[in-house]
Amino acid sequence: MAVQIVMDLTGDTRHEFDTADAMAVSQAERRFKWLTGAGFTAAVRTAEGRSELIRNFDPTAEETLFFPRLQGG
Amino acid sequence: MNADTLLLGIGFSVPLTFGLLSAAFDVAAHRSRRRNSIPLARSTPEDRAEALLNEWLCPEQRATLERHGYFEVRGCHTGKRYRIRRGRNMNIEELGKNGAQVAVWCFGPAGHLPLGDVMLTQKLALETNEQAALGVANRLRRRT
Repeated sequence: MAVQIVMDLTGDTRHEFDTADAMAVSQAERRFKWLTGAGFTAAVRTAEGRSELIRNFDPTAEETLFFPRLQGG
Repeated sequence: MNADTLLLGIGFSVPLTFGLLSAAFDVAAHRSRRRNSIPLARSTPEDRAEALLNEWLCPEQRATLERHGYFEVRGCHTGKRYRIRRGRNMNIEELGKNGAQVAVWCFGPAGHLPLGDVMLTQKLALETNEQAALGVANRLRRRT
């Protein structure tokens, strides 16, 4: 199972999907494209405490975190 | 006391005892779960965001956040050190070579997110896309 975590007002919303299920993976890819198109940035953990941005959907990523567009405070 | 009364007493006392023990076990198990993790379904947005932040911090960052109320990250482009304090605004300090504060930066995610999400976004932005983050940030003051 893989999970897409989207930061929101509730803290986060999690979308789990089975990486062996082609339809679920396709839905996850559509969600990835929609969120990044809406201004969210996607990041994956590469090691404990380390992460990297991803620009394209990675069907092998176990955990992808989406955070909103940045703005100055 | 005849045999019927005795059996009636046993009939009531055994389930009652079992019920009380079961309830006590449930309370103990619930307390144990509370110590180890926050049940997501029943936690508040702030709890969920704090849990997510802790998941994405390294052990050292978690320790300093718990002990001192801040954690440090290193910018991916400049290699500079930043201290992210608990807070939403004016909570990112750029540190000089001697560890002294040289500037304060202010940026965060759009929208009103729980505090843990704000701090996690600041960490990820500085560690993975420092220039873009500082490009939208306000530099608030500088100490000499």
